[in-house]
Amino acid sequence: MATALAQRQAGGGVFRLPRWLAGDHPFPWLAPLTAMLLAFGVYPLLYAVWLSFQERSRVTRQFEFAGVRQWATALADDRMWGALQTTVVYTLACLAIQLVLGMAVALLLDADRRGYGLLRALMTLPLVVPPAVTGMMFLLMQDAQFGVLTYGLVQAGLLDPTQPLLGASSTALAAIMLADVWQWTPFMVLIFLAGLRALPKEPFEAAAIDGASPVQAFRYLTLPMLSRVIAVAVLIRSIDLFRIYDYVYVMTGGGPGTLTETLSFYAGRIFTLANFPYAATLSLIVLLVLNAAAMLFIRLTRIRF
Amino acid sequence: MSFREHDRKTFIADSARAYAQRRIGKREFLRRMGLAGVGFSAFAAGFLGGQRPGGGLRISKQALAQDSGPDPEMMKWLAEVGRPFAGTTIRYTSEATPPTIVLSQLVKDEFTAATGINVEIEIVPLEQVLQKATLDVQGQLGTYDLYYLDQSWIATFSPDMEDPRAYYDAKPDLAMPGFDWDDFSPPLVDGIAKFEGRLVGIPFDIPIAILMYRKDLYEKHGLKVPTTMDEYMANVKAIQAAESASGIYGTTGQMRSGHYSLECEWTIWLWGNGGSIFNASDMFSGGDEEGIRGLEYMMELSKNCPPGALTWTWDGQGQSVTQGIAGQLVSWGEFFPGFDGTDSKVVGLMEAAIPPTPTRVRPSSEAGFGEIPHIGHQGGSTLSLSKYSSNQEAAWLFMQWATSKDVVARGCVLGGGASPVRLSAFADPRTKEAARVGPGTTRHFPAIEYTINNMMGSEPDFPAWAEMANNLIPVELGKYLNGQTKTAEECMAAIEGPANEMAAPFRRT
Repeated sequence: MATALAQRQAGGGVFRLPRWLAGDHPFPWLAPLTAMLLAFGVYPLLYAVWLSFQERSRVTRQFEFAGVRQWATALADDRMWGALQTTVVYTLACLAIQLVLGMAVALLLDADRRGYGLLRALMTLPLVVPPAVTGMMFLLMQDAQFGVLTYGLVQAGLLDPTQPLLGASSTALAAIMLADVWQWTPFMVLIFLAGLRALPKEPFEAAAIDGASPVQAFRYLTLPMLSRVIAVAVLIRSIDLFRIYDYVYVMTGGGPGTLTETLSFYAGRIFTLANFPYAATLSLIVLLVLNAAAMLFIRLTRIRF
Repeated sequence: MSFREHDRKTFIADSARAYAQRRIGKREFLRRMGLAGVGFSAFAAGFLGGQRPGGGLRISKQALAQDSGPDPEMMKWLAEVGRPFAGTTIRYTSEATPPTIVLSQLVKDEFTAATGINVEIEIVPLEQVLQKATLDVQGQLGTYDLYYLDQSWIATFSPDMEDPRAYYDAKPDLAMPGFDWDDFSPPLVDGIAKFEGRLVGIPFDIPIAILMYRKDLYEKHGLKVPTTMDEYMANVKAIQAAESASGIYGTTGQMRSGHYSLECEWTIWLWGNGGSIFNASDMFSGGDEEGIRGLEYMMELSKNCPPGALTWTWDGQGQSVTQGIAGQLVSWGEFFPGFDGTDSKVVGLMEAAIPPTPTRVRPSSEAGFGEIPHIGHQGGSTLSLSKYSSNQEAAWLFMQWATSKDVVARGCVLGGGASPVRLSAFADPRTKEAARVGPGTTRHFPAIEYTINNMMGSEPDFPAWAEMANNLIPVELGKYLNGQTKTAEECMAAIEGPANEMAAPFRRT
């Protein structure tokens, strides 16, 4: 079509498109996307790598080549290892809760009874709230003096009123996780629901005729048939969880001490303090760990995209 | 003034007074203002209902309606001198503090109307101002023409900002007549705006630590206003013991781990117990005898705070008093007008006084990096002019207007009794008139004025200080308050090594 257009235009004497543009070569169609990838993907990555080999002088504020010093500093930085550990704990715990809870709610909502459509639609509501706003909501609900959640837990005898949820070392991380679970479990529900609704009915009917219980049907039919969907959901959520920043920033600022300081949050704090090379190094560590974990997961679960 | 105009103004003033005295609600007040043709943005309306706790940002309704309006002479001068810059847009980034909020309300109707210069005011959290300023000066981009610079960053940004005094002298055709540089409190100029003898900006905001206490509780329990550190602690414990059953704590705090507010809390008690952050050799000295005593003092106070204090920054601290759950505190004076605000549960119950006398005050000569130890911690800020601005002259006009006698004095009333950076603001009839119980009160101004002149404490000035004060120190203090670090000595030791390493390039000896 492009060729025909060029010929018609050439015939009309208006202008002639360059041959490479008028031909069937894929380059013109790939160029915009490639340019965007280079500008917004490759260049920032290369810049971060370059930064990680620099050092910002506190005196001159100029970047100076520092070799692998930032990487060595990071590997010897107890705070970095602590943040990595917190990130891993946070990711695994949230993932487990959201996976189980998401599957349970999806199974409950997988029906065509009256009102279930509305319930499924309502599940999307938490997803449209910006995470920072969610963090603020939970910050207020968990406030030691004025929070409704704190009040409820204290009244139920589940919380010591002298121990603020977000200020006590034993509960601070769990308190942040609560916000994450509230906001992102519906995401799992929606993915699992989509998977459940797409399952064929025949195997389940056959199993029912053979006398299989609902638990057996779930164990031997639903789970295996949903495994790819589950794997994709886990992969997407894991990547998102590993980069957790908003809730920590709003709710605890990494505290008490550094107990809720995740790797992304630590990198962000260092960035705010203008130590760009070290912040870039920490960000690259996030990237490397995340990529390695994701590749391993994809290999183990044999996901094909 | 026509009769019609007179009636309208009287109606506005009466409505404002009725609202301030809580005879009518916010809805009714806004309805009446609508009838009178006064428009409120959603932003301003938010402040009518108390958004940020502590009250520093509450605009007094009464003051808003009864504002005297701009100085006509200054407006005339602005119109003349600003004409060549009409159509220019200047950008300013700041934290949401009272003077900036006031400017954002006045700028369009006064400065822009007179000069034709548009002003974009970007209000973000304090740490983001630091981030934006850092990125801007790193690339010398000139994205912002003006900055709100916290006193703890002055050394960091000193090379990137014009010296306003030198600029004033160098540009006589743009110099505001009667600007009166001597009207700025000298301790403020030294503590907030100067680095190595050079002005980095013009003092613009002055939150300073004063004593604020519940008069009713003091009377009920026969307590007297504390004049020493021991008396202060005794009062805290007495209130805690007597009132904890009714949900009132002895004191309150801004002790969120990792936040700059915790560093501010610490320095009040460090300096109040005779310590300093650095010694004369520019080495960290928070771990010496006085330093340990100061930290343990703060730890003792934290045990008499609402549990939430460990998760609060200054916002939560001010809010806790407003909600009536704390008996006394030494903290930012800019909280005080909010205690008399419309959403407060302690209207007329709080009193302001000068802080208790420190156990000992370490002389500045025995401290390092220009640190001035004293209990009245100042958290002031400057309005600073970027060297990289491409609209410097237009921005300079705005800067002079924003820090002029007229705007500072009116800002004290409009901004809810905050930021008297000029001496004339304390004596101004408008601020004196506002010294009564009610929103936007200036009842606390005498305590502020005395503390500025006699008890003001200032943090060290050196380029690595911002990083230290916003990360290293509050993180380690947070660990101590939370029990992750067991002793005060251990906490200070954890700060000492990195602090000395960060300070090393700037050490004079």
